[in-house]
Amino acid sequence: MRTPHKMTDTPPDVSIKSARKLFLSGASIVWIIPLLALFVALGVAWNSFNARGPQIFVEFEKGSGIKAGETELRFRDVTVGRVEEVGFSAGLGKVVATIRVDKDVAQFIDNSAAFWIIQPEVSAQGITGLSTVLSGVYIEGSWNEEIGDFEDRFVGADSAPLIRAGQTGLQIAFRTVGNGQLTDDAPILYRGIEVGRLGKAQIAPRGNFAIVEALIYDDHRDLVNTSTRFWDSSGFRLSIGPSGAEVDFESIATLIGGGVTFDTFVSGGDRVQDGTVFEIFPTKEEARSAVFNASAVDPLKLSVIFDENVSGLAVGAPVELSGLTIGEVESLSGIVDYNQFGDSRVRLNVTLSLQPARLGLPGAVSATSALAFLQDRVSNGLRARLASASLLTGGLKVELVTVADAPDAQLVAVDDALPVMPTTKNETSDAAATVEGVFSRINNLPIEELLNSAIGLMNSAQMLIGSDEIQQTPRDVRTLINEVTGLVSSDSVRNIPVSLNATLSRVETLVATLEQEQMAKRLMEAVDAVSGAADAFSTSTEGVPELIAEMQTVAAKAGEIELQQLVDELTAVTRSADAVIGTPDAIALPGSLKNALDELNYTLQELREGGAVENVNQTLASARNAADNIAVSAKDLPQIVDRLSTLFDQASRTIEGYNQGDQISRTAQNTLRDIQKAADALASLARTIERNPNSLLLGR
Amino acid sequence: MEFSGTSQQILSAREMGIVACTRCTKAWPMGTQTCARCGHKMVSRDFGSLQRVWAFWIMGLMCYVPANTYPMLQTRTLFQSDESTIVGGAVELAQHGAFGIAFIILLASVAIPLAKFWAIAFLAVSVKSRRATANHSRQIMYEVVEYIGRWSMIDIFVVAILSSLVQLNTLASINPGPASMFFALSVIFTMLSAQAFDSRMIWDEQAKDEDPS
Repeated sequence: MRTPHKMTDTPPDVSIKSARKLFLSGASIVWIIPLLALFVALGVAWNSFNARGPQIFVEFEKGSGIKAGETELRFRDVTVGRVEEVGFSAGLGKVVATIRVDKDVAQFIDNSAAFWIIQPEVSAQGITGLSTVLSGVYIEGSWNEEIGDFEDRFVGADSAPLIRAGQTGLQIAFRTVGNGQLTDDAPILYRGIEVGRLGKAQIAPRGNFAIVEALIYDDHRDLVNTSTRFWDSSGFRLSIGPSGAEVDFESIATLIGGGVTFDTFVSGGDRVQDGTVFEIFPTKEEARSAVFNASAVDPLKLSVIFDENVSGLAVGAPVELSGLTIGEVESLSGIVDYNQFGDSRVRLNVTLSLQPARLGLPGAVSATSALAFLQDRVSNGLRARLASASLLTGGLKVELVTVADAPDAQLVAVDDALPVMPTTKNETSDAAATVEGVFSRINNLPIEELLNSAIGLMNSAQMLIGSDEIQQTPRDVRTLINEVTGLVSSDSVRNIPVSLNATLSRVETLVATLEQEQMAKRLMEAVDAVSGAADAFSTSTEGVPELIAEMQTVAAKAGEIELQQLVDELTAVTRSADAVIGTPDAIALPGSLKNALDELNYTLQELREGGAVENVNQTLASARNAADNIAVSAKDLPQIVDRLSTLFDQASRTIEGYNQGDQISRTAQNTLRDIQKAADALASLARTIERNPNSLLLGR
Repeated sequence: MEFSGTSQQILSAREMGIVACTRCTKAWPMGTQTCARCGHKMVSRDFGSLQRVWAFWIMGLMCYVPANTYPMLQTRTLFQSDESTIVGGAVELAQHGAFGIAFIILLASVAIPLAKFWAIAFLAVSVKSRRATANHSRQIMYEVVEYIGRWSMIDIFVVAILSSLVQLNTLASINPGPASMFFALSVIFTMLSAQAFDSRMIWDEQAKDEDPS
């Protein structure tokens, strides 16, 4: 721009008409920059203002760490807003958090919305909100997916609601009158799997029961129908029954935090609508029986008269048909009716209350149909009897059983009285006595003595095992085995079979000779001869009775020699050897033992090859024959003795008569001396045999 | 620049019919279009300069608003993240007892920029009005504003150094906030504004005073 300045020379006298000035003609182009900036700033400001969502006001009981400008509002864990201000409601009654919500989400926040504060929490079900330890708490919101009328004032919940808006599932409620431990947020388990969750338990307005909301997740809603029964699975249950002690709990979590489980015991339930109220039973058994109790059909009443008045039956005792409880004892009374029973004994009159539904009859379930069914069964032999319900308590129950050869009876109602069920022999065991007997027998067991003996035995065994001798046994055994090895491998032992063969041959020969010679006969002949000779002689008879006695002993010993005994002793020896070899310590000496065994094997093989075994058998047979002969011969000995005594009598008389005949006397004395020698030799042989029967076989 | 005597005795170049080249300072007779020595375009008075002054001044002021409302530093430690504005940070420092540093921050980031705005505006207005202060003081004021303008960038340097030094990943990190950019822009625009001011106009009022035409 050119600045006009005054010109002093030659002023042209032109009428000057000032040019119409343009509005921005004097404006610098630099103004574009602030204008641009202004537009940008305004645009940004408008944009951010436009994108800004509405404010909502949520009331909480406590601030719980909410901070203005920091605490976020999250929906499905995504930040959709931020707390702008934390204040109090009028009168400081509550904390009001002013939350700026994202615009695109705000339209969904309608009366379905719920807000609660997420903070770290440790409970039996686990730890939740752990991330908020570092990041600080946040507010979780929940609303459905439908656009509704916007609201900006809410009351925040103090815990996460059980049923969040937009979440599908079966919404039911539970009632419980028992002292169950209904814990907030406890799981609902089915076969150990969590299929739902309890809400917050509350006491009903009248205070007579607790009620709790529950949600069955959508995937599992078909598990629940009107026949489903729920029971408390929290804690654990200890039961002692016929099958032993039983500890029952669902899971550690329910043990601590409580829980509810359920089952559908009968089929045919209807679909459950939202809002149905179920009862929570304390135990599974009660839940199960509640299925039947709930039937609307009138019970069938029957009367049973038991001849025996047995204690133990109580009101409420079960009535069972084939093990299934179909009813219970309703009342008990005594009955005395001379006209009906023919005596004045007191009988037990029991009224049964049967549930027709439990009979599982087809068609309509009613008392009439149940009665018809039972009448049919009674004509086929169904009878009532008392049976033991519990061995320990001695309680009784009423059992309906079919008796094969029962006398004819009918189940009929007489006049207005109840139909009377025929009975059969009771099957009650005196349980108390039985149990007592078992206990007393257990008591009588000499357990203490047994234990004392056992302890004594243990001590002795310990001392024995700990003694040095036993501990040195292996060494001794090894030495012994080495010696045995040496012995077995020695030539002399190797030659045993040969010697044995030779010996046996000799024994055989000897035995044969003995047989041939028929010593007894010869002895008799000799005695006869002597007796003949003795007639002529007289001499002293000293020593003869001893000889006889010795000979008798020999004979007895000969009779007593039994191979069986030998075999037994050998067996015993073998066993002892086995025992020694079987000790663990001996196993540690396999080298020596193997050698020994090898040698033994070798020797045995040689024995077998040398025919020694057969020879031994033959020899033993011969020896037995010889022994038999000896025994036979021995029978003759008394005769011999008689004859000898006769002989000696004669001889003594003769000798008295011929006292002077020295020549004859001397001869006779010589003869007697010879006889004495022979007898001595015989006695010596007998002693040798007695001492060592093997010598007879081995020829030594 | 030298000052001599009182303002009353000073003759402006314009009054002497001389125009000086603003680049190479050679004086030429009035009306010379371009400097024959350096080729720079020459004007005796740049009357468009006031418009540029005001334009940059407004820009600087516009940038100064977000520079104070937005956080200057974003400090993230393991457990928390902290954002502080310039004034907020200074107040926080003062609460921790660091009054000296707080004072420096307030001086360098608040007082001086605001004083600059005021000074430039005053100068721009005073060249049009007669009831202005002594020309000499205004000249000094202009010199000071121009000299001190660049030092306002010290804030930006601090932020830049801090955020480049403290980057410990998750443990701790410092990042410049949006205010730092606006503050830098604000400083730049005020400097431009001060530069756009043609200080020779200060003396024209004196001439008018002395001889009103």
